[in-house]
Amino acid sequence: MNTLIEILKPGFLLRDALVASLLVGLVCPLVGVYFVLRRMVFLGVALPQISSAGIAGSFLAYSWLAGEHQHMEGGERTLALAGSVVFTLVATLLLAAFERRGRGTVEARIGTTYAIAGAVTILFLAKDPHGDAEIVGLLKGDILATTGAGLAGMFWIFGAVAVALLAFQKELLLVSFDRDLAVVFGKRAALWDLALYVLIGIVISLGVMTAGPMATFGFLVIPPVAMRLVARRMMTFSLGSALLGAASAFAGFYLAYRFDMPLGPAEIAVASVALAAIGGVTALRRGLGAARAP
Amino acid sequence: MPKTKAAAITLQGVALGYPGHRVLAGVSLTVERGEFVALLGPNGAGKTTLMRGILGLHPVLAGRIEYSFDRLASPPGYVPQRDALDPIFPLSAFEVVLMGTYGKLGPFSRAGRVERERAREALAQVGLLDLARRPFWAMSGGQKQRVLIARALAAEPEVLFLDEPTAGVDAEAEATITTLLARLHRERDLTVVLVSHHLGAIRAVVQSIVWVDEGRAVKGSTEDMLLEHGPASLFRSRAEVA
Repeated sequence: MNTLIEILKPGFLLRDALVASLLVGLVCPLVGVYFVLRRMVFLGVALPQISSAGIAGSFLAYSWLAGEHQHMEGGERTLALAGSVVFTLVATLLLAAFERRGRGTVEARIGTTYAIAGAVTILFLAKDPHGDAEIVGLLKGDILATTGAGLAGMFWIFGAVAVALLAFQKELLLVSFDRDLAVVFGKRAALWDLALYVLIGIVISLGVMTAGPMATFGFLVIPPVAMRLVARRMMTFSLGSALLGAASAFAGFYLAYRFDMPLGPAEIAVASVALAAIGGVTALRRGLGAARAP
Repeated sequence: MPKTKAAAITLQGVALGYPGHRVLAGVSLTVERGEFVALLGPNGAGKTTLMRGILGLHPVLAGRIEYSFDRLASPPGYVPQRDALDPIFPLSAFEVVLMGTYGKLGPFSRAGRVERERAREALAQVGLLDLARRPFWAMSGGQKQRVLIARALAAEPEVLFLDEPTAGVDAEAEATITTLLARLHRERDLTVVLVSHHLGAIRAVVQSIVWVDEGRAVKGSTEDMLLEHGPASLFRSRAEVA
């Protein structure tokens, strides 16, 4: 209880890290619902890895162009975010184009992409003359290193993404659920797909830079999968997923701080427990319903 | 014979299909306002391709399609095959029907009171207002089909397109859907274009048939088509006849 009170105090030492965790937990599931609904969950494994490759690539470019790293300050951080978004967006568009043309199987495409992205990330870091352990740590997700400036940037970017998802929900839902109807209605389906991919790219890039690929993937997928079991409406599904993500992030942060555990895995473990609990209750209710049926 | 009215849709020398593979060619026909037309023909003949071409979902390889209405201001109602929609989406019947109003809403507009009322009216027209909150994926095949018809009505269309609306439903649901379509056609003076495997239950409501086979599409009255192709072709698919 004392730990909880300490965490909630305004002057808490790791307050920025806590808020960053909550933002990642809140916003990643909002785009994650489209991963689940469009049956693109496997893509959620590959994209954070591609985002990492983009970050490593931008570090390498920074080293070549500007010299030593400035520990993710100012222009370097912006460059890293831009590199990450570009890599993620290009990969998403390529994978979507391959899927539309039916080239190979989904598993083969995503598996290959994951392997290539992982290898490229390591190669970029190895070739970076100023690469150091701090950057490697950042690629794994160093949320505790979140600064006030970084948090402000996250707040505005994630806020803009959340507003865009809400403002364009009907278009994104329409092209996802019934693309043909969207075309019949004269909507530019390809443009809305692109808009969704850009939002996904931004969220994943910022999520990876803040919390690392593993936690980002976990928040993208686990809360929506859990909420899909109980949600009967789209708004409940989206908001429920976001709230479950944020709650998992808070509980994970508490456990990590209280028991000195790594933050990302603790958060994903909490989200997984929530998924198991919701799945168990749902199965139980279905079982009881089937037993009562005449 | 139905009374001749102004054209709703006119096809002139239209070819449809894919680059390097024409499914249909030289299609010239007119769908009149208020007409109830069935696109019939064997499996794989190109019935759905023809409908999708008219709807702008397939590229027109040659010829032209003219509409007597503004397709953006008054988009057509479209009822796809219900299996084309993924049951993973957690949508209530009402939410599905509300999508029918999105055609007239711009990117920053939200479905408000007027759109929600229109969606409720459409659900009432298909007799499913009581089930508005039920999950779409949990409904029976016939109920889903009626929800999709309600969604098409919520668009306030001048022309209603339906792709095999009675496929895979039981006889009772088929009769309900057919009666519903006949009533909507009569009461709202809707132009209806419907793809079907066979004439079957829709025989009583269809005014004209477009027979699609061997890369061609020819329109005629139901009586003419019965004489030309015989009852076996019109009432059952070629595969079933074989």
